[in-house]
Amino acid sequence: MNWLLYFWLFLKASLFTTGGLGNLPLLHQDLIGLGWAREADFLTAIAVGQVSPGPNGLWSVSLGYLTYGWAGAALATLALSLPPLLVLLVAGFYARMQGSPRVQDFTRGLSLGVVGLTLPVTLGLALSTVTDWGGAAIAAGALGLALSKRVPVIVILVLAGLAGFLLYGG
Amino acid sequence: MSAGRRDSAWQVAPTGAGRPGLWDLFFTFVLLSLQSFGGGASTFMLINRTCLQRGWLDDQEFVRTWALAQVTPGINLLKLTILIGSRLRGWGGVAACVSGLMIPTALITALMTAGFALIRANPLVQAVMKGVMPATIGLSLAMALQMALPLFARARREGPARVSVSAGVLAAAAALMALGWISPVLVLLLSGGLTAALLALVPARPQPAPREQGGGQ
Repeated sequence: MNWLLYFWLFLKASLFTTGGLGNLPLLHQDLIGLGWAREADFLTAIAVGQVSPGPNGLWSVSLGYLTYGWAGAALATLALSLPPLLVLLVAGFYARMQGSPRVQDFTRGLSLGVVGLTLPVTLGLALSTVTDWGGAAIAAGALGLALSKRVPVIVILVLAGLAGFLLYGG
Repeated sequence: MSAGRRDSAWQVAPTGAGRPGLWDLFFTFVLLSLQSFGGGASTFMLINRTCLQRGWLDDQEFVRTWALAQVTPGINLLKLTILIGSRLRGWGGVAACVSGLMIPTALITALMTAGFALIRANPLVQAVMKGVMPATIGLSLAMALQMALPLFARARREGPARVSVSAGVLAAAAALMALGWISPVLVLLLSGGLTAALLALVPARPQPAPREQGGGQ
């Protein structure tokens, strides 16, 4: 396995997509095509990415570990970390343009759009993870606790895990 | 929260809090990433709370930064982290925040991959995860609400027509995303363009002068 090409494939996948599983189709095509990964590696990596801390996009670190050991995990981490730096260019550009009311209205629209994007994505996730009344109650409880802004996120997650243990662990 | 929301340049010291040290930034993000089990929603919420509590960004600045983080390639949460680091301490801040976020989480992700065969089989672990996953849905919804509120509070001060514009753009973005015809980045750019065009047609109601200062909710 050529580590430079390996790194480039991960870098390319991250460079042309945004977060989450966006880089999945590219990595899937390239790594399966070269015989460097199996279907099962992808399934495992996606599952781990859902559970592990940090952004969901870190699933490809898991894929790196499965296909190339610790070196693969390190290369994948680096490949994920570099392309996001491009955002600083946009931020610099934005800082210079910010005085204009048109630009301010434009970024206001971006903010509204971001909230709009969240809704169908969350709904899609809800359809696959909330499968019964217990799950719906946990989601509603977490929503309420989060909105109160008094309960640390880790406490919400621990409580939810405990509820899962009580509901589904028997 | 003081009213200093005018950022004349991108890299500007946060009002009130002073510039945090690089080690402080690094350990803040290490601690935050270690608590963020269950994926992006909890990471996002933790970053949001940290920014607000430490006075690094106010509500509106945070949403604006998050929006900016969506329009270039790569993991959105990482871009958010980069923007926060850059704003607080320039390149050193970027290095401190990104390494603080990525090193522990990547390490744990690799370790969990190594142990996954053991974990996956365990029904108790499955039960716990079955509880954690719906909670992340609740966290996502809470974040969406918290991001929407300041935008609509501002529109309400500017008059009902601007509230309609805001609601319309939000709904249109949600519908376009749900349909999946075009990429999310394109949806965002359209939302921005549409808002700029519509708000140019709908002037803001004149602001009552003294209310402005108290608006940081």
